[in-house]
Amino acid sequence: MTGHKDLLDIGSLTRDEIEFLLKTAQPFKELLRRSVKKVPSLQGKSVLNLFYEPSTRTRSSFEIAAKRLSADVTNFAVSTSSVVKGESILDTIDTLQAMRVDYIIVRHSQSGVPNLIARHSKASVLNAGDGYHAHPTQALLDAYTLREVIPESTGKKVLIVGDLLHSRVARSTSEILEKMDVQVGVLGPGPLIPEMRPDYFKTFCSFDDALAWKPDVIYLLRIQLERQEAQFFPSLREYHRYFGVTGERLKRIAGEGIYVMHPGPVNRGVELVDEVMSYERCLINQQVENGVAIRMAVLYWLKPETGTGGAS
Amino acid sequence: MIESVASPRAIIVRGAGIASAESSKLQIADVAVEDGVITRLGEDIGDCEGAIELDGRGKVLLPGLFDMHVYSREPGEEWKETIQSGTEAAINGGITGVVTMPNTVPAVDNGGMVQSVLEIAGRSSRIPLFAAGCITKDRGGRDLAAIADMREKGAVLITDGGVPVSNALVLRRAMEYARDFDLLVGSHCETMELSGKGAMNEGAVSFRLGIPGMPACGEEICLARDLRLAQFTGARVHLQHVSTARGLNTIRRYKNEGVKVSCAVTPHHLIFNEADVGDYNTHFKMSPPLRTEEDNARLIEGLKEGVFDVIATDHAPHANFEKAQDFASAPFGITGLETALVSLYHYFVRKEVFGWDVIVKHYSAGPRSLLKLPPAEIREGAAANFVLFDPDKTTTFTRDSMKSMSSNTPFLNCELNGSVEHVVLNDRLLK
Repeated sequence: MTGHKDLLDIGSLTRDEIEFLLKTAQPFKELLRRSVKKVPSLQGKSVLNLFYEPSTRTRSSFEIAAKRLSADVTNFAVSTSSVVKGESILDTIDTLQAMRVDYIIVRHSQSGVPNLIARHSKASVLNAGDGYHAHPTQALLDAYTLREVIPESTGKKVLIVGDLLHSRVARSTSEILEKMDVQVGVLGPGPLIPEMRPDYFKTFCSFDDALAWKPDVIYLLRIQLERQEAQFFPSLREYHRYFGVTGERLKRIAGEGIYVMHPGPVNRGVELVDEVMSYERCLINQQVENGVAIRMAVLYWLKPETGTGGAS
Repeated sequence: MIESVASPRAIIVRGAGIASAESSKLQIADVAVEDGVITRLGEDIGDCEGAIELDGRGKVLLPGLFDMHVYSREPGEEWKETIQSGTEAAINGGITGVVTMPNTVPAVDNGGMVQSVLEIAGRSSRIPLFAAGCITKDRGGRDLAAIADMREKGAVLITDGGVPVSNALVLRRAMEYARDFDLLVGSHCETMELSGKGAMNEGAVSFRLGIPGMPACGEEICLARDLRLAQFTGARVHLQHVSTARGLNTIRRYKNEGVKVSCAVTPHHLIFNEADVGDYNTHFKMSPPLRTEEDNARLIEGLKEGVFDVIATDHAPHANFEKAQDFASAPFGITGLETALVSLYHYFVRKEVFGWDVIVKHYSAGPRSLLKLPPAEIREGAAANFVLFDPDKTTTFTRDSMKSMSSNTPFLNCELNGSVEHVVLNDRLLK
């Protein structure tokens, strides 16, 4: 399967390409559990982590994935770079282009920045999360994790709970689920559920109604405390009570064998109570582990236009 | 002062189809201009000694257009546009008069600033330029600007250009004050709280792109408020760049009640919609934002029906480095002076969606009448003020061919049908 130059969103992937990436991640995951965790696929290639937004987990995940493929990895520390001196994104990209990097992994607080960079760069651009727009590797790792526990996922139901309005994870993950013929339900405070949402979202107004729909997986979104410039709901206490996985709800969830996912990091006492983290069907750590394998698969698959031939 | 292409004693246009506001049919005739005045109009008008002869056969002769919504950027932001480059862009597009918005640095909020803008225009513009003044000081929405003083110095319109007066009481007082000085109040209708950090229409496309939305109801609500205040105060109010079908319906209703209100539509809100934003193309980012296909259809109806009084571009130049950012960070606005007439021909007149009469009525006669300026007319005895347009040629809008200092237009490098061949104003062949 021919690789794309960039991975900017889920919309640009076909169902076959998604299946291919999920399949490719499988041997990489096995590799990660061996004592020697490295393959030479990206030897001699340089990967640049360009994170304009703070991130520990995603950045480390990409860094480990690239290193496992034997690429050279540079972390471009935005807070200490000339970006704070007012250099424009495109000037930064020209500079990086001159340094001949092959892959640029971008995170930015504004939607569309990876698209802008991709148009101006011969290096492959990998979107590690942009504004409210997309987080395609998160969606792929979610799909991969879902398949691990529910191999026959067609027709199954995933309930996404929380801030759908500001969530790039919700956009990308719901999109990949839809492409995989998984049903998508959504639940959250009214102001955080977009008025103009896709038709395939089945919207619920209460946790009870949503559970009556019999979801196979509950996907909790992080309440972005740092993004609450305006008030979208009265209090975190009320959020937890009406839209969080409380102890009581966890009992029902366990009773019905529903899996729980979350892109992390979690706000304990808001989206979920502590006990969820030790619930046997909680897939949060599995998602993190699969993240490295999926990112290896994506890096392996992408084809930069920086030189003769791409990754072997 | 820039030298005109030529300043001959006489200009003769032969065999062009003359467009008018009254009929979509073109009247084929010859036109002779002597010493800046149309002296003869008809068949076989004979010769004039030393006249420049323009072949009008197969072409359209229409009255010079007038754009009442232009950002000149001078003084203060001359890297985007100057009064000279902006008015040259207007001429290039067949426009022979403009009103410039008060969004300069400093803002045009007192008589002295009106004078300075008019002075700059006096020495650098080849077409008449009229100044709009602010409603409130520094467009701040709080304290009234020197409205009467600006009127006395020549301001033809007051508006806070690009932003609404959000405080209804301030707007009410501005309307009551301007009313008695017979000054038109221009309104940018937007509920800023609902727009928030929005950068495009709130809808399916904004959701997909993850761009915060500006809901249509934000325009509709503010528009309803301003219409009611216009009715209440009796001021002459002009609603700028209406982008929503519902907003237009509200205007229709108030007009039927006899309220003294006028409104404008931009070419881009007729032609494009939110889907055209595509892959975060900042040349489709403006305020108000592009709405939906349905809105396009309703706005075109509104124009044909005459609910819209005016076509105006909202010409908003920005330098390339400013638009070459991510979508949310790039400034609002696109240029329009050079592309307006050609694009209206390409998308509508050519396809017989509407006729030349709609353009003459709303893009030449309409704005001049609203501002109580003499009309541009093609008749014997009138001052020469017309455009010769060739429907059989095409125009490609490139950075080099455009006169504007900025090229932030959706039509950049696009080839459209139609071409502005010549522009005549008084005794001068401007293009």
